[in-house]
Amino acid sequence: MTLPLFQTHQIMLTIGPATFRIASAWRAPIDALERLYAAYPRPADAVADFTVRLEPAGRLRRWLRPSIFITGDHGLADAAPMSLAHGLLAAEMGMNLQMALGWRRHLLLHASSVEKDGQVLVMTGESGSGKSTLAAQLGERGWRLLGDEFALLDLVTGHVMPFPRLVSLKNRAVDVVAADVPAERMGPMLMGTAKGNIRHLVPRADAVARMGEGAPPAMLLFPRFGHETDVRAVGQGEIFMRLTQASTNYVALGEAGFDALTRFVATVPACAIDFPSGEAGMAMVEQLWAQRG
Amino acid sequence: MNGHYRAEPETALVVRPLDDIVLLYHRPSGQTHMVVSPVPEILEALCAGGDGDAAAVHDWLAQTHDLGPREQAISAIAAHLADMAAIGLVRAL
Amino acid sequence: MLLVRALRDPASVDALSPGQWNALIAAARAERLIGSLADRVGDRPVPAAARAVLDDALLDTARERRQALWEADRARVALAALGVPVVLLKGTAYVAAGLDAGQGRFIGDLDILVPRDALHEVEAALIAAGWEWVKEDPYDDAYYRQWMHELPPMIHATRDRMIDVHHTILPLTARPRPDAAALIADAVTLPDGLHLLSPAAMVCHAAAHMLADGDMQGGLRNLWDIHLLCTQFSAAQEDFYASVYEEAARHQLTAPIARALRLARHLYGTPVPDYRAPITVDHRLRWSDRLFIARLLARDGWGRETRKGLVFAFYLRSHLLRMPPMMLARHLLTKWRKGHRPV
Repeated sequence: MTLPLFQTHQIMLTIGPATFRIASAWRAPIDALERLYAAYPRPADAVADFTVRLEPAGRLRRWLRPSIFITGDHGLADAAPMSLAHGLLAAEMGMNLQMALGWRRHLLLHASSVEKDGQVLVMTGESGSGKSTLAAQLGERGWRLLGDEFALLDLVTGHVMPFPRLVSLKNRAVDVVAADVPAERMGPMLMGTAKGNIRHLVPRADAVARMGEGAPPAMLLFPRFGHETDVRAVGQGEIFMRLTQASTNYVALGEAGFDALTRFVATVPACAIDFPSGEAGMAMVEQLWAQRG
Repeated sequence: MNGHYRAEPETALVVRPLDDIVLLYHRPSGQTHMVVSPVPEILEALCAGGDGDAAAVHDWLAQTHDLGPREQAISAIAAHLADMAAIGLVRAL
Repeated sequence: MLLVRALRDPASVDALSPGQWNALIAAARAERLIGSLADRVGDRPVPAAARAVLDDALLDTARERRQALWEADRARVALAALGVPVVLLKGTAYVAAGLDAGQGRFIGDLDILVPRDALHEVEAALIAAGWEWVKEDPYDDAYYRQWMHELPPMIHATRDRMIDVHHTILPLTARPRPDAAALIADAVTLPDGLHLLSPAAMVCHAAAHMLADGDMQGGLRNLWDIHLLCTQFSAAQEDFYASVYEEAARHQLTAPIARALRLARHLYGTPVPDYRAPITVDHRLRWSDRLFIARLLARDGWGRETRKGLVFAFYLRSHLLRMPPMMLARHLLTKWRKGHRPV
C-alpha cells in the first residue's frame, strides 16, 4: 500500500506454542537469529501470533550511531533504545515483550522450568535469584529444559508447557555454563548491556524437538543464589501472592487465571531454597526432587 | 446508607480456601481478594441471613463462634462491612 | 486498506493469504480494532492460527467490558449522595447501553460528564472514594484546570483504573462551544441511575472527539464507533441524521459532523443519505477529505505508521484547533523544555 520507510529484514520462527514474525531495519540481528534458531520450526507462510519490530530509534539513527527501538504489536513507549551491537538481545527482548503483554492462551509465570520422569520442576524468583542458571545447568545434566524465563501453565490441564527460547546467561553464569557446552550452541558475547555481559545458549536438541510436549508440575522452588544452604517452608497465601506478582497475564486472564493459579498453589508442593553455589543448588534440587511427595 | 448491607448474588464470588488464607475471585470486577477470618464468616452470615447490619451479623455468628464482648465485636464487624462494601464484596443499602 | 475492507465486508477475509492475515492483524492491533475485527469476523472459517489470535482479542474485550461496567458502578456509588447527573461517555456508555458500538471495543479509561458547577463536589467525592491525581506537575495541573474540558486525570489507588471527569465535550480553547448543559438535560437515564447522551448527541460527541479534539490518533476506531452508532440508530429512527445535524448545530459541530459522516460513508459504507430539504447536505467526499483519509490509512503491513510528516502536521493541527496561537506557543514551549517531542 505504501513504500516502506526502510529496508526490512525479516524472519519467522516458532518457539513452543507461539509464532513470531520479526522485522529489523538491520541485517545483523536477523542473521544471529537464523544461526541460533536453526533447529526451530521456521514456517515460511504462516499466520504469526506476534509481530516484533526493531526500528531505528531516530530518523537518522539507522546510520549514525545506530540504536534500536524495540516495538511490535505490544510495545512500551518509554523503552530505552539499545545499541545495534546488542541486536540479538533486542530481538529476544522484543519477543519476550510480546509474550509478557500479549499472550492469553496460558497463565504465564516468570519462572524457569525443567522436566524429568514426566514431571515438571518450576523455579521462580527475581532476576539474580539463580533460577535461570540453575535451569540451564539442570538442562545439561539429565533434565529437559522447558524454559529459563517463562513457564506456561495450561488453563485446562494445569500442565506446564515448554517455551524453550534461547537461555540468556548473565555475567558469572556465562563461564560456568559455557564450559560444559559446545561452541555452536553459544551465541556471541554481548558486553556491557543494561544487565551486564550476556551470552545466549541454545537449549539441547531434545528440548527443542519436544517443545510441544508439556507435563504436570510436581514441585515449586523459590531459589536464592549466594546464601548459606537453607530450606524453608512457604505458606500457600504467600506462594499465591508471589506467583501473581510473577505473572504478567494473571489479571488479563480473569477467572481462568484464578482457577489455574489456585489449582497450582493448592496441589504443587513448594519451598524456598538458599544455596551458595551452582553445584550446591543442583545437589539440593536433586535431593528435594527425590523426596517429593 | 443506614449500616445495612446485602450480600452480592452467590454467582458474583468464587471462594477458594488455601491452607492459611481464603481467596475470593470477584466476577463483576475481575479482582482477586486475599482475606482472613472474620471476612469469610461475615460473608457467609450475610448470605445466610439476607440483608442485615453489624448487629444482625454478630448475632448470627455468635451462635457458632465465641466473639467476645458484644459491643466490641459489633464495631469490629461494622468496620469490616464498610471495607467490604468499598471493594464491592457486599452492597451498602 | 485490508482492515477497513475486513470491517466493512467480513467475507473479504475468506480469501486472505497468511501474509495478508499478518498485515491485517498488525494493523488491527495498532489501531486497537482487533476486538472489533474479531467480532465482525464472528464464526467465519479462518485459519486456525488467525482464529487463536481473534479469540485472544475477544477474551480481552470481554474483560475490558466487565471492568468498564464495574468502574462505572464504582463511580455511581461514589457520587450517588451528590444527586448530580453522571453521564457515561464513549466506550463505557456503549457497553452500558448494550449498543453494537460496544461489541469487541477496547475501553480503557472511564469518561464521565457532570455539570460544571458540580465539579468541585465530584472531585471531592471521588477522592474520598479512593481516586487520586495521576500527575503532580503543577504546570500540567494548571493547564488542565484552565483550558481543558476535564479535570486532570485521576486513578483509583487500589484498582489502578483511570477516570476522566469532563464538564463539557471539547476543550475550552477549541473554537466550537458545545452546550454542555443541554447535553446533560437531554441525557437518557439508565435503570441503575447513570445517564447516557441522547443518540444524536452521542454521534456528535464521537465526531467532536475524532476531528476537533485530537491528532487523529485512533481515528479509524473513532470512525468505526460513528459508523456503528449511525447504522444502529438510523435503523431504529427515521430521519436520524436530521436529528444529528440539528444537534450538531446546537453545539457548533456542524462541520465536524458533516466531515465525519462523509468519511464514515466513504470508508465503512455507513448508510448516510444526502439531503435536499430542509437543509442541503451532500455527503460526497470533499477534496480536503483526502488528507484525512490518507492520515487514517497511514499504516503499512507491519503495523508501522507511515507518512510521519502527515502525522506531525496533524499534531500541530489538533493544537491549533484547540488553542489560539499564543497559547499554543506557550504550551509547546513548556512541553519541549521537558524533552517532549511530537511524533
